[in-house]
Amino acid sequence: MDAVQFLQNFINGISIGSVYAIFALGYTLVFSILGIINFAHGAVFTLGAYLTYSLAVGRFGIGGLLADLQIPFQFSFSVSLLIGSILSGLAGVLVERCAFRPLRSRGADPLLALVSSLGVALVAVNVIQYLVGSEIYSFPSDVYGDIRPAFVIHFGEKLVVVRTVQMVIFAVSLLVLALLGYMIGYTRIGKALRAVAENASTASLLGINVDRFILYTFFLSGFLGGMAGSLVGTSFGIAGPYFGVSYGLKGLAVIVMGGLGSIPGAVLGGLIIGLAEAFVPSEYSAYKEAIAFAFLFAVLMIRPQGFLGRSQMQKV
Amino acid sequence: MKLSTCITMILTFSVSSVYAANVSSPIQIGIAVAQTSNVALFGQEQIIGAGIAEKYFNGKSGVNGTRIKLVMQDTGGDEAGAINAFQNLISKEKVVGIVGPTLSQQAFAADPVANRLKVPVIGPSNTAKGIPQIGEFIGRVSAPVAKVAPYAVRQAMKQNPKIKRVAILYAQNDAFSSSETVTFQETVKNMKLQTVTLQKFMTTDTDFTTQATAVLGAKVDLVIVSGLAADGGNLVKQLRQLGYMGIIIGGNGFNSANLFPVCGKNCDGILVAQAYSPEANNPTNKAFVADYRATYKKDPPQFSAQAFTAVQVFVEGLRKVEAATGKKITQMDLAVVRTELNKTLRKGSYITPLGEITLDKDGDVNQKTFYVSQIKMDAGGKVGKFVIVK
Repeated sequence: MDAVQFLQNFINGISIGSVYAIFALGYTLVFSILGIINFAHGAVFTLGAYLTYSLAVGRFGIGGLLADLQIPFQFSFSVSLLIGSILSGLAGVLVERCAFRPLRSRGADPLLALVSSLGVALVAVNVIQYLVGSEIYSFPSDVYGDIRPAFVIHFGEKLVVVRTVQMVIFAVSLLVLALLGYMIGYTRIGKALRAVAENASTASLLGINVDRFILYTFFLSGFLGGMAGSLVGTSFGIAGPYFGVSYGLKGLAVIVMGGLGSIPGAVLGGLIIGLAEAFVPSEYSAYKEAIAFAFLFAVLMIRPQGFLGRSQMQKV
Repeated sequence: MKLSTCITMILTFSVSSVYAANVSSPIQIGIAVAQTSNVALFGQEQIIGAGIAEKYFNGKSGVNGTRIKLVMQDTGGDEAGAINAFQNLISKEKVVGIVGPTLSQQAFAADPVANRLKVPVIGPSNTAKGIPQIGEFIGRVSAPVAKVAPYAVRQAMKQNPKIKRVAILYAQNDAFSSSETVTFQETVKNMKLQTVTLQKFMTTDTDFTTQATAVLGAKVDLVIVSGLAADGGNLVKQLRQLGYMGIIIGGNGFNSANLFPVCGKNCDGILVAQAYSPEANNPTNKAFVADYRATYKKDPPQFSAQAFTAVQVFVEGLRKVEAATGKKITQMDLAVVRTELNKTLRKGSYITPLGEITLDKDGDVNQKTFYVSQIKMDAGGKVGKFVIVK
């Protein structure tokens, strides 16, 4: 592999890796607070993509119950992304209310919450299918406005091409990561979240309303999931209601590789999985997921706690 | 008693009970295609085509005065559904022949059932290699991919005679695409073009950045994609966004309006080889197109035309059986009709919406004319159509 090819793969890798990172952070936030994986996160990812699509295009879509239903307003992509992500955050809150809180209030085993989140995910995906059909939704090519779809950098005979959407994904993901990092590290809400993550009982004795902060966590998690879904959707289209499932699996791989419950771990894991996929030679790229997961397996063999797990874990 | 003996006895009983009956009036022809599942989009087009044929041929006195009746059975999108539908049509509905199933994969599972019970089958859309070889009662009116695919490459050369370097991409987890790409690769080789890069992907993939950047780096003049509408359309979209300006050929998976919402305005210009053109100049096609347009206000798709053709082949075959035996079909034993019909189908030619066709001794279609379409999208990139290029 020459330097130009390396640069091309690196750009492809960090772009998709950054969106894996923000998606995986949604898993990490919930895991660090409750110690369980929220399997409905993939469904929220899908929902976010559809919501942003509908708001940006001004109609619900081409299939299902809502086929061709016009929305009386239409927003720019950035506003749609923000509203779509906020609505996804609210969907995250709903997931907490339906799948987690009833079981938590009865002191049920965390494994049951995991299964109930899986149930909520399946119901949500099927409802989405009922409402918008299983057709593929593609964002209009001018969704970012009138800007060129790709940039080409020439290195003599060779070239590196970067899609505009790759740059948008990377920039938005970096911005979200920075804001999240600031919020958790330097604000009162962030400190309270970290306290709940450290020990919910103690936090409660200190006057922190644990249930409320769990809700905040689910909102943040849904927000990140919806945003990741929207960004992936603008890049590759929304490949039907089940398209969150494979990303859901990948998100799990990311947090396991980075270290369960670790925020820097999720970011690192996302970038590593993204780069691992990108560096699979193009002739074999049909096997890229297999190779990425084999890499994960190898990492776990050597370091079962993931790259930044446990010993250096920074809980929220 | 051994299980195998038991099964043989049951089968013999059910087969003999099926055989011991005359053909009912109207003459029943089975249509076993996908009306549900993700294949339904194709199946519904087939139902429309078959329905138009039923109306058209009954309007032309059916089988020498006896009306025909289509019996529809939903196969769903899988093999088990196709087998069930075939069994129902054969044993319960006592049809003289079956048009179906929609997918080649389903045909490999269900056709042997009909063949064992000596019921003629005409595949309306099974294009994979080996379908007619399933058995002597199995035929098709859908030309195999090996015959259709090269036309698109020839058309691309016509549009740009300077083409030298070719990129070929295919969905490796789809049986049809994997077989189609071999045809494309051979065509490219035979036309003295150079396959510079051969890339694989999965039908479940959404991110084609790696393949697209590799194709761009290879500086090719022609890209050939064998995939389905979702993945193939997405791949085309990403290729175009990255700045690939050359000709793109899509395989049979692109032969669907489902492609348009995926690649939007980037679908524009894709070449797709087709077995059907609404412009085919013969009276049967003109009547078919007129009826279709009157109801649906658009040109009929290939799947409808092929389903019409399959019904037509049965009707004309039945007429020939009456002519040869001098008896009315409804006065003959069902088993005899099925066997005689199967023999007759392979004789003579048919003037169909697909043009003039014959079935060879294996039951495979010999079609004289093929077409190449180019996708034209509207200015908004939402509505597209296949325009025949000459």
